[in-house]
Amino acid sequence: MVDRRLHEFVRTLRGARIRISPVEAEEAMRAAALTGYHPREQFREALAQTLVKAQVDRACFDQCFDDFFQFESMRTDEGEEETDTGALPDTTDLDSGDLSETTANLIAQSPEQLTQSLAEAAAQQDFTAMQVITQQGLFARQLVMNMGMGAVDDDILRLAASPRRRDQNRAEQLRDWRQQVRERASQYVRRQFELHGRAHGRALREHTMRAAPFRELREYHQIQDLVRRMARRLAALHQRRQKRAKRGAMDARRTLVSSLRYNAVPVQLHWRERRKLKSKVYVICDVSGSVREAARFLLQFLYAMNDVLPQVRSFAFAARFDEVTDDFRQYNPDVAVGRILDRVSGSGTDYGYMFESFQQACGREIDRRSTVIILGDARNNDLPAGEEYLAEISRRARQVFWLNPEHPSRWNSGDAIMAKYEPYCRAARRCSSLNDLSRFADYLLRALNNSQ
Amino acid sequence: MKTRIDSVDDVIASFARQGYICDQRTALAVYLAAQLQKPILVEGPPGVGKTELAKSAAAFLEAPLIRLQCYEGLDESRALYEWKYGKQLLYTQLLRDKLSSLLSDAESLEQGMARLGDLGDAFYSDTFLEPRPLLRALRADEPVVLLIDEIDKADQEFEAFLLELLSDFQISIPELGTVRARHRPLVFLTSNDQRELSDALKRRCLHLYIPYPEPDLERRIVAERVPELGDRLREQLVGFIQHLREQDMKKLPAISETLDWARALVLLHADSLEPDLVEQTLTLILKNEQDVTLARGLLPHWFSKQRAL
Repeated sequence: MVDRRLHEFVRTLRGARIRISPVEAEEAMRAAALTGYHPREQFREALAQTLVKAQVDRACFDQCFDDFFQFESMRTDEGEEETDTGALPDTTDLDSGDLSETTANLIAQSPEQLTQSLAEAAAQQDFTAMQVITQQGLFARQLVMNMGMGAVDDDILRLAASPRRRDQNRAEQLRDWRQQVRERASQYVRRQFELHGRAHGRALREHTMRAAPFRELREYHQIQDLVRRMARRLAALHQRRQKRAKRGAMDARRTLVSSLRYNAVPVQLHWRERRKLKSKVYVICDVSGSVREAARFLLQFLYAMNDVLPQVRSFAFAARFDEVTDDFRQYNPDVAVGRILDRVSGSGTDYGYMFESFQQACGREIDRRSTVIILGDARNNDLPAGEEYLAEISRRARQVFWLNPEHPSRWNSGDAIMAKYEPYCRAARRCSSLNDLSRFADYLLRALNNSQ
Repeated sequence: MKTRIDSVDDVIASFARQGYICDQRTALAVYLAAQLQKPILVEGPPGVGKTELAKSAAAFLEAPLIRLQCYEGLDESRALYEWKYGKQLLYTQLLRDKLSSLLSDAESLEQGMARLGDLGDAFYSDTFLEPRPLLRALRADEPVVLLIDEIDKADQEFEAFLLELLSDFQISIPELGTVRARHRPLVFLTSNDQRELSDALKRRCLHLYIPYPEPDLERRIVAERVPELGDRLREQLVGFIQHLREQDMKKLPAISETLDWARALVLLHADSLEPDLVEQTLTLILKNEQDVTLARGLLPHWFSKQRAL
């Protein structure tokens, strides 16, 4: 039973996004066996030290621990439960003479004892299997049955069928009592659902969020958190790659000098550190209408990776063109987007004008270390395309990438003119969901690292 | 090495005897690590006594402490073992005559090669092996406490290399085969969080975070380490340090700074904190010019509040 409860706890933690391997879960059980459940703080520490390996997760762990083991500790922090305990009908005057043994035992229990029996019965059930809210009734019924309330049902039926008035009164009293117990059971089950079902729901929701089109993402609360975590994971991965790629050619001079110690045998080889070219990234985002959401996530993603992408300059345009690097550095994405829109929005995007402005602003700095990323739907409102500017940028920069939130089949429909711009880009990709974005960021970092 | 640790309280009491005052969770970590035979990863801000913990554990278990200080570029030859190239060369030079006489009666090239082959093994044997901390810990005749200090300063590759050691307590040396620990060492790894450690490493360790001490714990530590300091002054000093830790500073004073300061005040024969005294000795606890300026600004307010109490 102990192991089962701990397994459930581990699953709860996983649901709360703490990564726990099977080995760690096993360690936690061994640690718990060593320390025991009391004192509670020591038990908590033992679990924390074996399960939580990052201090940032500690607060989350504590929250889960308190929620999960609250029943066992008999702590009631919700007011409603306190009143419940008081409202449990008094069964002491109930004559248990001809009742079944199980029933007699159950009704003789004090509220605390009853809570204990409930917890014991609950330990036989696997609440992590509960995934949708409608399963609660079923689990509550099972829980009540596990407590041995079946016997009570039988007794009630028997007493109610009896012709004697006194028996019928007792049946009535028992029904009241049973109702209370059932309510406590469903309360317990509801809390279990909140612990486990929520975790399951969160995993599902994250899965949906990753694949959902940007414009629908606004509805999700945890989206910022998700973007940050995706970006961090990717950044950590690439940090490792960068390190590996650092070692350069053999340093003949140092090797020769050190070999003198060993009779001119080159025992120790020395390597040159490869010099890293600092790559500069320029991001130009269309922030009109539907493209706006994509721009916001792209910028948020790139800035969350600023330890592997130190030099990012960003620009936004709609009717006007402006640099927005500082907005995203200083403010949270919601505020930043608001500020940017105030400055550049207006009717009609003009790509030709944008390229011209960009050329004027940064044309001189663009060199073989520069990567230019353009995000937009290439809908130019039938204005001059200005592809000659892009051609010039592309010639000077190392590479140009184009991200388009629309499906490739629509890249040239209506006033969209991707065909004019595409020849000057190293790659043009669709970017309409977080998954696309993450794939592009991975591709970008590879492209930046390999060429150094 | 002491093989049995009876309880968490046993650890606390023994640590206290050596002058290392720790709280329940630190003692629990040492207890669990010894019982489960798992390494402990100790994290926390600099100066809270992470390295000291390993030293105390070694004294408590009556085991020798072997320390490996990590730094960028640390490699196997510094951490695990190295061949004594110089000695090998010297031996071949000295034995040159012996060698040629040995080879002179060899009738064919193959025969000579075979003889040299036997010799080769002699040159890659224990005589020419220079064991470094990790190998020393594995081959020790008695259980030891191994401290791998500031693992976050080592490269990612080195961290990966440690994995075999930490989970199986064995290590592979191409020329000698697999070296298994004769006695499992108790391993402490410390980190200042300079970079994120890999999940694989964390998975193999227990995790202990040592924060800045609570006022009560800090008072006990000061009382233990600097007993000459008067009660009243100790109270004031800890109060002031705790107050500083609530500020937004570049480098917060840790327990090691508290102790330095306490010792300095004893030397200066101070019996209570005075504004002048604090101003003059502030550089003992704060190592950054901006922090010192910030703290100076706080002084008048803090002292007026103290007087009001």
